[in-house]
Amino acid sequence: MVFSKLFFIYLFLPLCLITYGLVRKTKDKNTVLIIFSLIFYAWGEPTYVFLMLLSAGVNYFAGLSIERYRGDKKEKIAFAGAIIFDLLMLGIFKYSGFIVENINALFGISIPVPDIRLPIGISFYTFQTLSYVVDVQWETVKAQKSFKNFLLYVCLFPQLVAGPIVRYSTIEAEIEERSVTIEDISYGLNRMVLGLSKKVLIANQLSIIADNMLGNIETTSFVGAWYGAFAYGLQIYFDFSGYSDIAIGLGRVFGFHFDENFRHPFICKDITEFWQRWHISLSTFFRDYVLYLPIFGKRRKYGGLFLVWLCTGIWHGASWNFIIWGLYYGIFVFIEMKIGKKNMKKIPLVIRHIYSKAVIFIGFGIFYFEDFGQLGQFFKSIFGMGGNGFITLADKISFSNNIFLITAAVVFCFPVIDMIKNSRLCSGEKSKTATSIVTTVVSAVLLLVSSVMLVDATTNPFLYFRF
Amino acid sequence: MENKNSNNPNNRPPVRKLVKINTSAVQKSGNVRDEKSVQQKIEELMRQKNQQSEKPVQPKSEKTVQSKSEKPVQPKSEKPVQPKSEKSEKAEDKKPLSKNNKLSFVNAGVIMLVLLAGFAYLLILPRDTVSHEENRNLTKMPEFSLTGYLSGEYTEGLADYYDDTVPNRSFFKNMIASVFMPMKGVKYGDGVTLHGGTYENNKKANQRNTASVTTAAPDNSSEVSNTAVTSAVTEETAPVTTLPNANEPAADNGEITNNIMIVNNRGLMLYGGAWGSELVYADYVNEYKERLGNSVNVYSMVLPTAVSFYLPENYKDLSESEKDDLDSMAAAFRGVKHVDAYTALLAHKDEHIYSRTDHHWQQLGAYYAAQAFANAAGVPFAGFDKYNKVTLQGYVGTIYGFTQSADIINNPEEFVYFKPKDKVDVKIYDTAFQNPVDGELFMSTENMSNSDYYLTFALDDQIKFLHTGMKNGRTLVIFKDSYGNALPSLLTYSFENIYLCDIRYFDINAIDFIKQVNATDVLFSMNTFSAVSNQDYIKENIDK
Repeated sequence: MVFSKLFFIYLFLPLCLITYGLVRKTKDKNTVLIIFSLIFYAWGEPTYVFLMLLSAGVNYFAGLSIERYRGDKKEKIAFAGAIIFDLLMLGIFKYSGFIVENINALFGISIPVPDIRLPIGISFYTFQTLSYVVDVQWETVKAQKSFKNFLLYVCLFPQLVAGPIVRYSTIEAEIEERSVTIEDISYGLNRMVLGLSKKVLIANQLSIIADNMLGNIETTSFVGAWYGAFAYGLQIYFDFSGYSDIAIGLGRVFGFHFDENFRHPFICKDITEFWQRWHISLSTFFRDYVLYLPIFGKRRKYGGLFLVWLCTGIWHGASWNFIIWGLYYGIFVFIEMKIGKKNMKKIPLVIRHIYSKAVIFIGFGIFYFEDFGQLGQFFKSIFGMGGNGFITLADKISFSNNIFLITAAVVFCFPVIDMIKNSRLCSGEKSKTATSIVTTVVSAVLLLVSSVMLVDATTNPFLYFRF
Repeated sequence: MENKNSNNPNNRPPVRKLVKINTSAVQKSGNVRDEKSVQQKIEELMRQKNQQSEKPVQPKSEKTVQSKSEKPVQPKSEKPVQPKSEKSEKAEDKKPLSKNNKLSFVNAGVIMLVLLAGFAYLLILPRDTVSHEENRNLTKMPEFSLTGYLSGEYTEGLADYYDDTVPNRSFFKNMIASVFMPMKGVKYGDGVTLHGGTYENNKKANQRNTASVTTAAPDNSSEVSNTAVTSAVTEETAPVTTLPNANEPAADNGEITNNIMIVNNRGLMLYGGAWGSELVYADYVNEYKERLGNSVNVYSMVLPTAVSFYLPENYKDLSESEKDDLDSMAAAFRGVKHVDAYTALLAHKDEHIYSRTDHHWQQLGAYYAAQAFANAAGVPFAGFDKYNKVTLQGYVGTIYGFTQSADIINNPEEFVYFKPKDKVDVKIYDTAFQNPVDGELFMSTENMSNSDYYLTFALDDQIKFLHTGMKNGRTLVIFKDSYGNALPSLLTYSFENIYLCDIRYFDINAIDFIKQVNATDVLFSMNTFSAVSNQDYIKENIDK
């Protein structure tokens, strides 16, 4: 099921909220959440839902065994078993086709390419179970004794299919006992509406521009290529951070406090900072679990760095362009590391902004093109060698036709909402009431407008469903 | 960022003792604090400052702001007050609400109200089944089957059905087109909006598209079913059944592109150019002539579209020239007579010869083209006095379905056709030239939606046969796309027999067919877009 569907917003969600509100005990609330989460997942994956249950079961028992046989050989077996199981699951369901294709190409053989459909959200929930098992092994968290509670952690529908990757430690306590205040509900609903609006009102509309400009890259001009990459980058940001907003908002309505997944990434001054603000739950996952793997010996600082960016790339999809995309960022992070923080700060701010935005938006171009021929053409165009001129009339018309949309997208890349809420205008008793009422009105209008817009969008899955 | 948390010599996240409630919060706040930028620190300080000043009044204010550093404090300050957390909501309802609580309550209440109102609206009201403006049937409720369920199609289908059949759908669609979409930006120059892909220098893109079109087999799936044809002919069923089921608006493949420009309330399909495929078309038609020999006249009358006549001068760059491709085609015919519809239409460009809201022409345009053809074929041609003019109001054609443009939906036009005063016998065959049934020259528009009027001429997946009152022994076979549908009723004073066949829906060998019906004349007549992208059908039809 997709959040950006009327079916979800006006049927599934109200039923879920009402049922959730009717039961009182946390245990019962958890049962309600599990049932609705399983329905939610099974709606899109009626068969793969059992794969998710299997994964939850295996990792649950692994957690228990690691704790019971602490210090024993069995602990290591349980730990390694779970890790191998999780990675194998990803390997089989996400990468087998890609691996076989490349082996075939490399050795000139033709092993039949397995035709396995990617289960929705497997990349997200597998990373959650992985982090859980590692945390139990590292004794950062206690193993969950109740399978029901563990299943809730794995399948909680707000974050199940497109993140954020919630750490077990984040909601460990809240699974068993949590309080929901009216402020939580109010905040959560507003946050959900905000996320939905980002997706429906901005990302979906930007996607039209991006597809026009990048979809016909053979004919795109220099300005058109930049314009397209820019629109596409913004589209992904509003799409994915919108999804995270909905997840965080719904989580809050149910009493869970998830960590932020995006913190206005485009205000970054360098690439290192970009990744501290973009898809935070993924980059911290790699930082905590992959970066310092002792497999590179003395060179592990750089080896780890390489591995992290390789993983980041390949996590996004079983395709070479994603791998290149990941390593591309790795190179810039490496360069920035070599230059050093102090020296970076000496570079004028304007230049740092131009540099980082250029790298980021060219990066999104790499993200867009799975076809290398087209990617090559994109690079030609972006450096003014595409042979289609500087700017075309169609670019100008498209830009005029979308000028307000683009302006809004750019403005909302900045933390404008926080700025307004924290400004002097909104402090003090009276303006607090006013702010709250304005927020309510804006929120209700956004929800209504987004809903009407959804009448026109029969299929528009979130981009991160692919991962 | 990677080496930020490397204080631990083992380079692992710090191992901590487990304190049930606060551990996670402490760890989190630690991580977050490490990563905080200067700006966020400032934001946080500001928040704390606000909090301090308001704390006496509102002990639980600012919870809505995302600040992890507050978390460790929360349980301590709140727990004593509300020991039973699940009941906190209820407890608060009973207590006199603080101001902040009241505001949150109002906010949550309003949003919940919208959700519940939407829930009730979508659940209770009768659902739409057809979208006339988009010219399609809406998604149907899926039928349950185990395989359908296991593949996920059934559940997805239910959700699609729910989303597609919103009560008063066209009202909302109109609101999107008229209110929301124009908010995206401003019109360019003389009021131009573009819909679809990029247009200039379409050479490579078009070659790619052509390649994909030519490899695709004729696909009837999104088109009208045979049962719909017969029922429409006998006029027992409402023409609603002629709507395709697919989500895409009805359009004949290859006839319409997504590159549409709206200017002066008129939709113009921007032409990407033939880039050599016009010669392939000419070759295929030449092959018909070779196979048929001198006893049969073969004509080609490829029809320019509105873009040739109504694209403002300063936007000429956006479209390739149809005229150039027509000329290039004309030069490549061997024994095939080229009929110059372009010049005939150009002379009347100030009349209503093309629809503004539809990708087809008006029958008035077809009249001038038919006249040019009749001259080329050396047959008589009737003046307007032989026809009754029928005018339908409120026509909004296919362009709206493709562009959702307010300029189109809010500016309907007239749909005009010409009914011959003399009787014409009509038979409708299936696409294998079997199962004839009696038909009408024009399908009744009475129950048609106002976007469908062009269907009055003919449906595409049928062979239509006209027997006229003319006794000149001339039998004409027209191979056409839907542009050609407007022609036969204008040629009933010119030919004794007319067969109307669509190149895309033709299941028998075309040469055999032409010989079987003793045709004296064969006319290929379709728009430029079809001729340069659907020409493979023409070839396939002689290889069947």
